[in-house]
Amino acid sequence: MEGRKMKRKRSEKVFFLIIVIGLMQLLPVTNAWAVPSFARQTGLPCASCHTVFPELTPFGRLFKLGGYTMSKSSKPYELPPPLAGMAQISYTDFKGLTSGVAPFDKTNRATDKINLPQQLSLFYGGRIYDKIGAFVQVSYDGVDNKVYLDMTDIRYSNNTILWDKNLIYGLTLNNSPTVQDPWNTIPAWGFPFASSSVASNPAAGTIIHGALDQQVGGIGANVFWNNFIYAGATFYRTTSNGIYKPLSIGTATEQVVEGTAPYWRLAMEHRWKNHFFTIGTYGMQANIFPSGYNSGQADRFTDVAFDAQYQFMGTIEPEDATDNGKPKSKARKYNITAHATWIHEKQDWKASFPIGNTTNPYSFLNTFRMNFNYYYKSHLGDVAGSVSYFSIIGKTDPLLYSSAPIDGSKTGSPNSKGFILETDYLPWEKVKISLQYVIYNKFNGAQSNYDGYGRNASDNNTLYAVVWFMF
Amino acid sequence: MKRSILVILSCFFVVALTARYGFAQSESSIKGKTLYTNKCQFCHGIRGDGKGPAAEPLLRHPADFTDPKFWQEDVVEKIDVTIKNGKEMMPAFDLKPDEIKAITWYISHTFKKETQYNK
Repeated sequence: MEGRKMKRKRSEKVFFLIIVIGLMQLLPVTNAWAVPSFARQTGLPCASCHTVFPELTPFGRLFKLGGYTMSKSSKPYELPPPLAGMAQISYTDFKGLTSGVAPFDKTNRATDKINLPQQLSLFYGGRIYDKIGAFVQVSYDGVDNKVYLDMTDIRYSNNTILWDKNLIYGLTLNNSPTVQDPWNTIPAWGFPFASSSVASNPAAGTIIHGALDQQVGGIGANVFWNNFIYAGATFYRTTSNGIYKPLSIGTATEQVVEGTAPYWRLAMEHRWKNHFFTIGTYGMQANIFPSGYNSGQADRFTDVAFDAQYQFMGTIEPEDATDNGKPKSKARKYNITAHATWIHEKQDWKASFPIGNTTNPYSFLNTFRMNFNYYYKSHLGDVAGSVSYFSIIGKTDPLLYSSAPIDGSKTGSPNSKGFILETDYLPWEKVKISLQYVIYNKFNGAQSNYDGYGRNASDNNTLYAVVWFMF
Repeated sequence: MKRSILVILSCFFVVALTARYGFAQSESSIKGKTLYTNKCQFCHGIRGDGKGPAAEPLLRHPADFTDPKFWQEDVVEKIDVTIKNGKEMMPAFDLKPDEIKAITWYISHTFKKETQYNK
């Protein structure tokens, strides 16, 4: 009886979700945008700011640095408020997953192939007042079944002339290191732009690569001079207590940062015709208490990264191109982008080593990721193809990377490497269908029997399909 | 005596008219400047030369208000139509006629070079 009730409840929820998605499809296609509130605010199509969302064009980067405040309205505020939504439905397949479709179910969905939804988000994306704007994302995680404050970046921005050149200057209040950065090389906005919530991931990752997302809050400043040099710094503190606590609503602060953790960023961008080149460096130093502690000695992580980006912004039509006598807007038929980032993390286990959590007093982690994307705008929608290579190399530590089924390491090595192949199709600007395949050549230190329980790296090869709806 | 009163009244009248004209002008100027700063400056630049921070990545640069060519024939109507309807990367703005007038007044009095303005 209970089971039948549960089944009926589930099917009602599925039906409700299908109706919502169906209604979203009825929204006018001509008014379709990326984070649609930004586009509604500016009156610009999403292609102005995105190659394929969420990757930014050079103009999109400036919109972000402008504090999300560019608006067609004469009022200093937006009415109605700039709200937008997102839904992700996904399918994951790799060895070890069962099947499942149970929207909003409270039971553990971590082994489901079908995540309906994988994520739902509500955005405040746009101007708050005058020169203050925000990107605030509140999400429902369909796997963890929780609602939480996701990526948040509240900005103030203004511009002036310095040494005869333009200077954009601004402030940011955010809850995830690198979320404030406008380039797509950095972890918060890097490739892949979506990935499975249920797939197995390598055991090791640097602190700056998402480990402190929603675990810290920080205030920072940034400047962009002459569309050439960008510099920024943000100072983070833990969200476990104090004024930043609201920035982690819905997320338990497991990585407790001691004192202040500075983040820095320096980048140079250069335009040559329709080619945009960027090189930069970023990094962070954080003292983090071992798991379960929030006082005493803390481990020190120092991340230093270098990144590079190349964007080709498409074909240029002749200056005098017209369409029925009117100037023709210059369509970007295709875009090419390439990103690369290398992060070196120095780990000083001055708290974990004495209590026996690590084998080494010091260690390191090097991660490298690069990707190449090609986007083509056809009459039937936008299509894209991406290839990515990634590697993680670190010091062997049997205590830190211990043997365990699926996620563990038999050798104590964190080394992993592989490729990601992805293809995207956008039948409309607000709908993106992605098919991704992750190939592991090495996983947690070995190619075969890496976990000591007979699992091979290739068993974690993951097929992932996701449909994004923006509205 | 009568003459003195007449002179004083005339002076007062002239001063009042000038002040009113000046006030109207500065009011228009402030409104135009505020609107220009908030709506146009990011692309058209602080100096109105079409080289604002957001102009750099655009395939075609925004209008240069310091260029004499810009101020040739039907410029007021051209500005009005462009603000209302948008053009290429420039979106259509939801501005009232008096706001458009204020922006036009501001850019013509700030960026149009004196020699061109007197033509």
